[in-house]
Amino acid sequence: MTADNAYAVELKGVTFKRGTRSIFENVDIRIPRGKVTGIMGPSGSGKTTLLRLMGAQLRPAAGEVWVNGQNLPQLSRSDLFDARKNMGVLFQSGALFTDLDVFENVAFPLRVHTDLPEEMVRDIVLMKLQAVGLRGAIELMPDELSGGMKRRVALARAIAMDPQILMYDEPFVGQDPIAMGVLVRLIRLLNDALGITSIVVSHDLAETSSIADYVYVVGDGQVLGQGAPAELKDSDNPRIRQFMKGQPDGPVPFHFSAPPLGADFLGKR
Amino acid sequence: MQNRTLEVGVGLFVLAGILALVLLALRVSGLSPASHHDTYKLYANFDNIAGLTVRAKVTLAGVTIGKVAAIDLDRDSFTGRVTMEVDKHVDNLPTDSTASILTAGLLGEKYIGISVGGDSALLKDGGTIHDTQSSLVLEDLIGKFLLNSVGKDAK
Amino acid sequence: MRRKTLIGRVRLVGRAAIDVVQVLGRSSLFLLHALFGRGGIAGGFQLLVQQLYSVGVLSLPIIIVSGVFIGGVLALQGFSILTQYGSEQAVGQMVALTLLRELGPVVTGLLFAGRAGSALTAEIGNMKSTEQLSSLEMIGVDPLKYIAAPRLWAGFISLPLLALMFSVVGVWGGSWVAVDWLGVYEGSFWSNMQNSVSFTDDVLNGLIKSVVFAFVVTWIAVFQGYDCDPTSEGISRATTRTVVYASLAVLGLDFIMTALMFGDF
Repeated sequence: MTADNAYAVELKGVTFKRGTRSIFENVDIRIPRGKVTGIMGPSGSGKTTLLRLMGAQLRPAAGEVWVNGQNLPQLSRSDLFDARKNMGVLFQSGALFTDLDVFENVAFPLRVHTDLPEEMVRDIVLMKLQAVGLRGAIELMPDELSGGMKRRVALARAIAMDPQILMYDEPFVGQDPIAMGVLVRLIRLLNDALGITSIVVSHDLAETSSIADYVYVVGDGQVLGQGAPAELKDSDNPRIRQFMKGQPDGPVPFHFSAPPLGADFLGKR
Repeated sequence: MQNRTLEVGVGLFVLAGILALVLLALRVSGLSPASHHDTYKLYANFDNIAGLTVRAKVTLAGVTIGKVAAIDLDRDSFTGRVTMEVDKHVDNLPTDSTASILTAGLLGEKYIGISVGGDSALLKDGGTIHDTQSSLVLEDLIGKFLLNSVGKDAK
Repeated sequence: MRRKTLIGRVRLVGRAAIDVVQVLGRSSLFLLHALFGRGGIAGGFQLLVQQLYSVGVLSLPIIIVSGVFIGGVLALQGFSILTQYGSEQAVGQMVALTLLRELGPVVTGLLFAGRAGSALTAEIGNMKSTEQLSSLEMIGVDPLKYIAAPRLWAGFISLPLLALMFSVVGVWGGSWVAVDWLGVYEGSFWSNMQNSVSFTDDVLNGLIKSVVFAFVVTWIAVFQGYDCDPTSEGISRATTRTVVYASLAVLGLDFIMTALMFGDF
């Protein structure tokens, strides 16, 4: 147990490459236990990649990923699958199994990992669905649900095994204000009620700031800044300020890098 | 229940596949479980086996009693050596039986016909039929016919 | 625009070759992990049954219908040619041998690639793009075991069975056309067939062919789905690739196996 117990997830000097292009260069991130931590950054900054590194779905080119005292990249395939039982992930699309109904979707982790009797599975599933407010939708198929409901069912499935760490991949994308509000409340509620560690990857400023206890801002393959949401708003770093205030032009230019205007319009091709 | 129909469907599917194999074996390839007799080997040397192939049938009085198992060249006598597998229950062939290569129809497949001799000694496993009659080669026949008619003209 | 120098062209060839080797390596590892990797899945048999249904049973109609038609066509064509030599009784033998040795395994392989193979690729590709595969992984279930393995085994089992049924209905279709329609004498139709068809050489060799096709077609289909770009274009490209590669593999392997099995006649 090298990892500090105050942190549920620790990335140490992680470098990740796609082909020869580096997505992350020597990144250190520490996620405090029992808190809601936001990971924010502009689209395409590799936030989701970061989440997949924490779930060891991607392997870093260098560095260590410590989760609950285990360095994931060093685990064998079967140990890794065991370690993942302690993690729940809410994917962007919900990722419900389309051939199973709501009940079976939530029951799925219980069925594959435990030998619980049918009545107990039923009780747990009902409990989890009650927590997300969808106990009534038990017999529906995933394609009969709205986007927000899908995400809530997926959330119920993610907490079915009572994980210690819950990761949310862009939970607010494409949600109407009501669904958004419901999710924000659920994330906070589950975090406090179950005493789990929550990691929210998002570029939705207002919502993430409103629930996160601590925020990392990533971009350019690096951690640009970290701190409580309020501190970050007044950051000295112009890139963080641009992102946190949503300014169209700044250190991240409005124009994609191109040859000088004159060269393209007047010059020879 | 939906699960039940699914399982029944798969069960029927697998059974149908096995049934298909059985049908192909019995009805199409004529394999019958009872006819799988033990066989014994007989050899015969022919001057010319032209056209005979492995798996050709061996008949006696028009009844199939075996098949050709192998054909190779006998290096010493420069003849074609044919290995036949004959049904065990036809074990009473006299040693002076004749094996000839016959043709089914004018252009049909070649097969071996055995005509029975009169000897009281019987062919045993690995025995050789010495009295053989080679395949009819059409070109030779035409050649002979031409030669004959030329001879007649000269007279 | 990039200039195409000689070295540049050579480099393109080299890169293409490396890509091919990489894909071969990846797909072999994929197959090994899926079929022989450690850690079974509870309820694996149930999953297999489900896949046998969607891969095998649902492919039955197209196989049966094509089988009848192809058997009938063979009989028609065979009859019109053989009747010129006065040996139309041989039509049974021709239909049976063509079906058992070639058309049974090959056409079933091609139809299977089009019907079941493309469906497998699209289904798995769709699961990948909707993050269902990632989700399985994070729930702690190996998608190679849960998704890939049952589909692979179902394909391996289904195609040979389908090929056998194809041959049977083909022979039946041939007899229907030749005997009932063209008036070939029934006795000589069947006896000619039975005399010339050998169980080991024809039926079993055909079966071996279909087993090989099953292996290759299913492998290509499942791997293409698993390896595709998780976007709509990626899935449609992967589906096309499945049908093209699988068909080419079936035809190419058929030639090689025919040369090995029947070549030294």
